[in-house]
Amino acid sequence: MLTNKVLENLPFSIRRRLEPYIEAVQVMTETSNPKVLRAMAPSGIRGLILQRGKQGVPTKMPSHHETHFDWTYPNDQPEMRELYTRAKEQQWNGEDLPWDIDVDPENPEVPIIPPEFMSYDELRGMGIKLTELEQHRLNASVGAWMLSQFLHGEQGALFAAAQVTEAVQFFDGKLYGSTQVVDEGRHVEVFHRYLDTKLNKLYQINDNLFVIIDALIQDSRWDLKFLGMQIMVEGLALGAFGTLYQMTKEPLLKELLKKVIQDEARHVHYGVIALRDHFQNELSESEQREREDWAFEVALLMRNRFLSYEVYEEWFEHKITRKQWAHMVSHSPGFEIFRQVMFQRLVPNLREIGLLSDRIKPHYERVGLMQYFDGRSADHLSGDELIAELDAA
Amino acid sequence: MEGDRRRPPGKLDAAASLAARALPSFCTPFLDQARLDARMLLDRAGGKTPAPVIERLPSPTPLDEVDPLVLLPRRLADKVRTAHRDIAMLGGRLIFGKTPAPLIERPRPAPGAVVSLARKAPQMARTVKVVDVVRETADAVSIYLTEEDGSPIEFKPGQFLSVDVNVDGHKLRRAYSLANACLPGVPVHITVKRMADGRVSNHLNDTIQAGDTLSVLGPSGNFTVEPRSVNERHFVMLAGGSGITPIMSLLETVLHQEKRSKVTLIYGNRGWDDIIFRERLARLSVELGERLVIDHVLEKPPEAWSGGEGLLSDDVVLERLDALGIEDDGMLRYFVCGPTPMMEAVHEVLKRRGVDAARIAEERFTRPEDRHGGLGSDKIELVVISKSGSEHGVQVAPGQTILEAALAAGLDMPFSCAMGGCGACRVRQRSGDIQVEEPNCLSRSEKERGYILTCVGRPLAQSRIEVEGS
Ligand code: FES
Ligand SMILES: [Fe+2]
Ligand SMILES: [Fe+2]
Repeated sequence: MLTNKVLENLPFSIRRRLEPYIEAVQVMTETSNPKVLRAMAPSGIRGLILQRGKQGVPTKMPSHHETHFDWTYPNDQPEMRELYTRAKEQQWNGEDLPWDIDVDPENPEVPIIPPEFMSYDELRGMGIKLTELEQHRLNASVGAWMLSQFLHGEQGALFAAAQVTEAVQFFDGKLYGSTQVVDEGRHVEVFHRYLDTKLNKLYQINDNLFVIIDALIQDSRWDLKFLGMQIMVEGLALGAFGTLYQMTKEPLLKELLKKVIQDEARHVHYGVIALRDHFQNELSESEQREREDWAFEVALLMRNRFLSYEVYEEWFEHKITRKQWAHMVSHSPGFEIFRQVMFQRLVPNLREIGLLSDRIKPHYERVGLMQYFDGRSADHLSGDELIAELDAA
Repeated sequence: MEGDRRRPPGKLDAAASLAARALPSFCTPFLDQARLDARMLLDRAGGKTPAPVIERLPSPTPLDEVDPLVLLPRRLADKVRTAHRDIAMLGGRLIFGKTPAPLIERPRPAPGAVVSLARKAPQMARTVKVVDVVRETADAVSIYLTEEDGSPIEFKPGQFLSVDVNVDGHKLRRAYSLANACLPGVPVHITVKRMADGRVSNHLNDTIQAGDTLSVLGPSGNFTVEPRSVNERHFVMLAGGSGITPIMSLLETVLHQEKRSKVTLIYGNRGWDDIIFRERLARLSVELGERLVIDHVLEKPPEAWSGGEGLLSDDVVLERLDALGIEDDGMLRYFVCGPTPMMEAVHEVLKRRGVDAARIAEERFTRPEDRHGGLGSDKIELVVISKSGSEHGVQVAPGQTILEAALAAGLDMPFSCAMGGCGACRVRQRSGDIQVEEPNCLSRSEKERGYILTCVGRPLAQSRIEVEGS
């Protein structure tokens, strides 16, 4: 790309300043669907250029959806009713986790993420040599970064779940939604408590995550909120939680994730059943195409850009370029696994709700995501099965 | 907070502030004065005269704190603020190469601290039963108490109860000493003397009856002795008015338990009929002979009075000590309780006589309403409490004491009187800013070493304290 060439010839200090903006423009122009661009661009500007999530003040986002009342209280969706019942029975109390466990994030015996997560070799190739202690610390930082993003994502999920509960037209969906709001509140509680009292560190929200949250909270269309939150963010989070659950040696975190995963499995299940019929029956072809492109765009955002830049800024900002960091992270063994598991969960769900038409398949093929096409979708996978699968792996 | 009453800035202030930002800084004082003048003129024109009482006059917001954006409608002002931040963010990054801090910094509890939000003020007091009421003088009444189940209240001689009384809808807390000998079978009582304007003391004198209940905390206090039968000691006790109550308990207990010890009591009162426990003391002195010397000092003595006269001022105290032939031999122990001027006089005299402070025990009572320094912060503050090796963050609401917040959050905290009088709740302040009501029972050296009392202490900022010995 031309811009990349230009960039490479600039002095480091200038390059460092421009890189994020160039990247932002690249992200936003990745889509060829003008409707998607129009819907996402304002969020992109707020998140990537103005970095609204990092301005140090509470962010206020208007939302434009309609609240859907139904005074007849129909029994309209047995599958959702069933999920509602299950959700009520499976409520748990965040206080009951083994909080008395002492967590030392730098202890190599019980690492938050495994030591081979990052490729230190590649870092060394860039002239950065870390002592063993520094490696533990960097690892702990990446762990804290990841959990911080989970936490920020959960805050988004909390509000999105509330909005979706208002907007959805199925009454059983509303009842179910009320439990999801409680679930997300609890997730915020436990992730925050873990970060605050055990890791003692909280990273700012990643700009790309901010863009996604901003886009779906402000969008007026309920199915886009659904798609964004219940399928994309939750689906990817489910994958990420699962990977971390497998990788971590820290017992409290493992227990916490296990509980959260079981809730999230319900959430994605709900997303799939709510959207399946809607996408297949209610939408025009161009509307369907827009959803498809939107989902692909968000998938890319998560796949390519979710690269712990905040850790880079904390550790290496003046030593290596953003691009070098991005290359190192996206090729590090830990992130490779992450990506794999995340999409392993997401792609079958997209298929199930009909957003993997023959038109878009080649695009997923191009970015290497089609290999997950045949997996089980969330409506065929309960939380328990999921945990069992993770434990077995 | 009283001194902080601010008049909210109006359009006029905003315009002045805007102008002050635009014009060179030497204009600022003129602009500031001009806006105050204009405000005054406008107020006057609108029929408002300046408030006559100084403290009630809200002070204008200082010009440099006035945000010119108040000129705009709120939504627009919000937009301008956001734009301002956006530009700062962009500019910071592009021009200065500044990335926003990757980590979120905020006031947080220490590692491992569990934050609990204090709910309502906890119930710390318990109920005791009034089993008898005996009038001691025209102005003093003894109230006999047992625990709610009828068992005797356990205490050490010289200790006091904190008594909560509701008067006209206000909960008031007072300290009253237990005045009886601390011996098995001796009924336990407090004695309450009417104070001029004393809301609680008058209320109790007027209304208390056998069969009532009282809400109390304690007993508490270190104004006490540990009697041992092998001891042979000489105590000098100085009491003024109702200050006799803890002294009575002390002298009866020691003289009974230590058969070879003696007590000299110097006891100041207004007149002959104001002497609380006059008969009881007289009987004791007959019974104990030389071991109890009582020296009454009366401000308004009856005719043909041969004892001490006047208020217990330093002259009078010195004169009485001499008259009684008390030479300090380096072994005497002093117990002093009474009104503040008397306490100060005694303190002064003993110091002059070279008595070292370790041999002087003093008890002073103040009414909580007479204390100062009580409000604390006007917002919720975090106090991190370390206790037995673990840390707990407690959110203290405005007005709440640290002790109240900590107990409400379920922490097991040491305390007894809950009114700054006993030192049981003493903890060490490690950081932050804590306001402690004065006067209180902490010594100067304790204060210098960083001790505070949680029961009358309120945070002014995020603070950290340590409960010692736990
Ligand atoms: S509890 Fe007695 S001084 Fe605080
Ligand atoms: Fe969640
Ligand atoms: Fe969720």
